[in-house]
Amino acid sequence: MTTRTNNLPKWTLALAVVAAAGCMPRGENAGEGRATVVHNQSVDRAVINQPVGPVPGPGDIAPLANPLGNDPTARMEGYHLFNQFNCAGCHGGRGGGGMGPSLRDTGWLYGSTADRIFNSIAQGRGRGMPSWGARIPEKQIWELTAYIQSMRTDDEPEAPR
Amino acid sequence: MKVTRISISLALAGALAGGCSKDASSVPPKLQTERVGAVTDLGGQPPSTHLVSPLPNGDWRLPAGDYANTRFSPLKQLSPDNVSNLRVITTVATGSPHGHEGQPLVVNDTMYIVTPYPNNLIAIDLTKGTGAVKFVYQPHPDPRAQGIACCDVVNRGASYADGKIIYNLLDATTVAVDANTGQEVWRTKVGDIDIGETTTAAVLVVKDKALIGNSGGELGVRGWIVALDVKTGKEVWRGYNTGPDKDVLIGPEFHAFYPKDQAPNQGVTTWPSEQWRLGGSTVWGWISYDPELDLVYYGTGNPGVWNPDLRPGDNKWSCSIIARRPDDGHVVWATQLVAHDKHDYDEIMENILVDMDWKGQPKRKLLLHPGRTGFFYVLDRATGEILAADKYVESTNWASGYDLKTGEAHEDPKKQTHTNRVVEDICPSSTGAKDFTPSAFSPLTGLVYVPAHNTCMNYEGMAANYIAGTPYLGADVKMYPGPGGYQGELIAWDPVRGKKVWGLRDAALPVYSGVLATAGNLVFYGTMEGSFRAVDARNGTILYEFHTGSGIVGNPITYMGPDGKQYVAIYSGVGGWMGAVAQPEISADDPYAGLGVVGAMKDIKKYTGPGDTLYVFGL
Repeated sequence: MTTRTNNLPKWTLALAVVAAAGCMPRGENAGEGRATVVHNQSVDRAVINQPVGPVPGPGDIAPLANPLGNDPTARMEGYHLFNQFNCAGCHGGRGGGGMGPSLRDTGWLYGSTADRIFNSIAQGRGRGMPSWGARIPEKQIWELTAYIQSMRTDDEPEAPR
Repeated sequence: MKVTRISISLALAGALAGGCSKDASSVPPKLQTERVGAVTDLGGQPPSTHLVSPLPNGDWRLPAGDYANTRFSPLKQLSPDNVSNLRVITTVATGSPHGHEGQPLVVNDTMYIVTPYPNNLIAIDLTKGTGAVKFVYQPHPDPRAQGIACCDVVNRGASYADGKIIYNLLDATTVAVDANTGQEVWRTKVGDIDIGETTTAAVLVVKDKALIGNSGGELGVRGWIVALDVKTGKEVWRGYNTGPDKDVLIGPEFHAFYPKDQAPNQGVTTWPSEQWRLGGSTVWGWISYDPELDLVYYGTGNPGVWNPDLRPGDNKWSCSIIARRPDDGHVVWATQLVAHDKHDYDEIMENILVDMDWKGQPKRKLLLHPGRTGFFYVLDRATGEILAADKYVESTNWASGYDLKTGEAHEDPKKQTHTNRVVEDICPSSTGAKDFTPSAFSPLTGLVYVPAHNTCMNYEGMAANYIAGTPYLGADVKMYPGPGGYQGELIAWDPVRGKKVWGLRDAALPVYSGVLATAGNLVFYGTMEGSFRAVDARNGTILYEFHTGSGIVGNPITYMGPDGKQYVAIYSGVGGWMGAVAQPEISADDPYAGLGVVGAMKDIKKYTGPGDTLYVFGL
């Protein structure tokens, strides 16, 4: 179920600390559908009362953009955090994968938008990706998100050679 | 029991003089395989040899076939004269397109396949000849284990004992399954995935105990080997490879050969404070057993954390060979092959136990260990003395050799790794001059057949944070193919003379499969691009080749079918540390991906992709 209300506390506080361990999952959507991003726009009842479907999901609400915007400092900081929080050990030195799946390819099991990447980091995923929401400050998760989204673009810091 | 004990003292000079009639043009050019070495240089006659373990004469009940890890079969229906007539008899899909690193078992007309995660056990009725399934046991391990395992979701195989198939699940659990019914007999949790432990090693059953080691050296776990009661699955003893002597099970019987290994509590004193708790030294490869000396042998993995500057000291007992009593686990001797590892040179490789004449001494009790370091070690397995340590892959440059008096390597200080310094051109790379894929020994030729790599690396130490259940490395590694225009080689190594007799070089990819040797003077192995090969054990001539559906990282076995005919079986399913680069979850454009292995393996996607098939070959 996708949470679509703004009555919840801010998502970083709401995250349960799951004693998961390991890396980003490789496959199925275990954990999908528990998105906890709270959209800042107000949600009117007409939207809430719309039937879900034919494809379940967030529907017509625009994804939340990275609040840090297109900031090279955020990307560089994210690159360093990617090593410091051991993301690199699982997902590859520059995100190409290993124990966990590549973040450089076009396959995104849980979505490639900034809010989806944020949630995958914050919540963890079922095949071994730990939940980092209670361990990494919100700003740093957005910095990691900025770095991950820059991979394979001209903006990527320390791009692999 | 289709098992026989043989003691081979052969004078096969006549048999060895032949061979070498085929030329290299029989090899399809696309494989770019080159035979090197003096092909008939076997020194006249094979050494006098004594094998300490019963050989798998018909069945294949242990991971290596025997306790001594020779992977030698006395079957000889298949020979250089008829092996070119091999054909595929049957195939079985396992349903898990990941690295198939182990080997099936054959017990009384049934074949048992353990798949990579989800670690199903598939029993095949060999009397039907069609791959008919008797049962499938599905253990449903914890799916989170997939993201904890460092190097693909692999399994290296089962043992058969007491009517049970005993093997590890990826999630640090061991199971015993009734070999006839497929019912689970017991299930024991041996480790904890939440701190990074997984179990990928092959189980070896010795007497009434199943021996199991842990994996997780890349996640700061503490290595151990545990003995479970075969009947009940209850833990009998557990020996750690780091920490105080009482945890390591070092007691009055312990006597290391070298003074450097003799002081008490080195599992603590050779580490910075408390670092031994995160000190790796795991047991994810192969275990051997000598029934005559009643000793179990295994090698230990890399110390945790990777970056050596973060753990000053020798870091015992990482990168060591350890001999224990199977009954209580007590250590009899230990020899550390590399102190204070700087390159992730796990020494979990197979230890082949064989008695051979050694420099004038008849039937010396040897332990043959082709190291990840690029050195082929010969130890006295009664004492732990290193009798020889010779380079078997030429590019090896981290050390020039060994001082056999002290047991210490002559390391090149320029190749030692440090924090914030990029050290270039270290050979071999962390994946080693060979990895876990096991060699075979033939008493007919006296040669060890080593599946070798020629891969080098650049290595930069970095800061590291320990976060339970995540990688604990502190290293930025980029690997690449070594010099000489080849990256893989099947090496026929003479352990007594310390030199290569012949080699079969593959240009593009490492040799990442195990090897089987038979009394028919054949050697079987597979290539990482998927070719299954039969080779003349005497001279390296490729006599048969079949291209399977995926790269081969498993180990061939041979058995006698219910029809009295000899068969050879092997998995085709690329994966494992180096092989996982063929899988879609890893991108080829990041040479630092997969713990640095992608730089050396980025071309593999051109050659092969995921597979999940058992192939059985016969005449």
